[in-house]
Amino acid sequence: MPRKTRDAAEVKTVDPELTAKAIAKAVCDGDIVNLRFLFHTFSPARADSPERFETDKYAYLLPTAREEGTLPFKESLQRVKEPDVWGHCQHELEASHSPQLHADLLLLLADNALQAGRYASAAQAYELLRIRERMQDELLRQADEAFDGGNVAHGVRGYMIASRLAYDYAAFPEPLPALADYQKRALMLHGDYPAQLSDCLAMKEDDAFLDAALSYLVLDPDVAARLKQRPLEQRIAFLKRLVREEDPAWDEFVEAYVEACRVTSDLGERWRPGDRGSGGTGTDLAKEIAGQLADDPMRIPAFLVGRTIEDGEWWQYLKELAYMHPAGALFVVRQLVGDREILLPCHKPDSPVAKELGLTKAPDPFAWAAEDSGAGGD
Amino acid sequence: MCDKGYVNYFEILGLDEHAKPGDVRKTYRRRMKELVGEIARVEITEERRAHYLLEMAKFNAALYVLRDTPIREAYWEARQEVIDLERQWRESEASDEAAAPKLRRTFDRKVRDFLSKYVEELMLDAGRDKECVDASHWDVAHERHAFRILRHYRHRLYKEILERLPLADVTPLQVDWDKRARVVRQVIAGSG
Repeated sequence: MPRKTRDAAEVKTVDPELTAKAIAKAVCDGDIVNLRFLFHTFSPARADSPERFETDKYAYLLPTAREEGTLPFKESLQRVKEPDVWGHCQHELEASHSPQLHADLLLLLADNALQAGRYASAAQAYELLRIRERMQDELLRQADEAFDGGNVAHGVRGYMIASRLAYDYAAFPEPLPALADYQKRALMLHGDYPAQLSDCLAMKEDDAFLDAALSYLVLDPDVAARLKQRPLEQRIAFLKRLVREEDPAWDEFVEAYVEACRVTSDLGERWRPGDRGSGGTGTDLAKEIAGQLADDPMRIPAFLVGRTIEDGEWWQYLKELAYMHPAGALFVVRQLVGDREILLPCHKPDSPVAKELGLTKAPDPFAWAAEDSGAGGD
Repeated sequence: MCDKGYVNYFEILGLDEHAKPGDVRKTYRRRMKELVGEIARVEITEERRAHYLLEMAKFNAALYVLRDTPIREAYWEARQEVIDLERQWRESEASDEAAAPKLRRTFDRKVRDFLSKYVEELMLDAGRDKECVDASHWDVAHERHAFRILRHYRHRLYKEILERLPLADVTPLQVDWDKRARVVRQVIAGSG
């Protein structure tokens, strides 16, 4: 019986110009996924693959006419067409073993990714080149120099970028750039129910609060540990910048937070007869609140996340809040109301961090508690 | 020949390769008692918890592997095999370019298998062993935390091995660190 022939693959020719442009685009964009794909078994750049650049589905691999005219693309293309680089690429596209990427191209790709803010891509490329940790060290060294020289903005940026190059060696099945898993981290942050208001994270002293906030928000524990050694004002400046960059919609959260604080404060006035601070337990307070307010308090977590979760538990609201506004999870507290816990907004009115983040324009949600227990605020 | 990264349970317990099972048990109990005492004395932070869990898992695995002759011999043989493969690959890299990629792939597969088995799997198995549980009080909560910590440890060891080997997925790279410093300066300044 005659064997089937691979007609499509055998007659295929690949336009080397398209291949060079596709590689140059991946390098210019700092896109390691596309670069690796181009050398993969099913790449349209390989003659033994049935895939073709000319089809619509691979249009994303090729530069647009506008992109082709830009200087960074022209520089990348020029680098791709250098004889030793192009010779290596062609050899790898014809070989049947796992591809070996050209180090110069990968380094250029990583630098472009770093400039473009594609930190996961940069981290992967530097990791392949085995210089990721040293690049992080260099970033931190220059950031420390900037801080010491009084240039807080550059110091903050250096630390920010270094933390974004973090790698998660415990990722499954293979190490990967660290992911922002704030939903998980927020649950750990609020793992213990605060027996008193002073036990909650947002009420801690500025130093302790900042340390906890940095451990939560900075993905690389080594960078967070190094940052904790910087003076308070530099850590606050870093945190402010980090919060804004992680969460472009932070101002929307602030608005919702102000509203949640107003409602909490109003409810607090009605909670006043309860003796929360001296001898009363959370359950006593809970019964009292439940008796007086029916389902009112459930509006508060809904304000914080911007929607009501049907039969939502406190941790569901917390996970959603941490996903939408990671830093928002630093300014909430768990509170038992009736037979269920809810999330309430919470900040220290004199906290410099809360002030920098615009949260102090909200009324102090627990002012009534401070009045009840004197200056201690419990 | 460097054997760093290929977990050495004799070294973990501070024993030589000819230590008898009785010596292994005695040393394990002494080391575990010291560790448990240390844990009781210090305040447990997130970092310390990860460190102590890993130390405990390493001691447990050392006992589990070294007290039993067949397991111990299989472990030592597998360890020796990957060390020999690394040597062969390095030699072929220098002399026989054609055989090098195949040897590298074999070495890579074997080293991953070795670390998966003797770092993750056996460390978790050891945590369910009665003798280890009695001495270390290892329980399901420890195991739950240990999954991630052991995977992290395995990849760190793998990386430690890779770092001293020639690049394989990428062509050789000469890094000009002055140029790197300039790139970093541009990125921090937000220009480039």
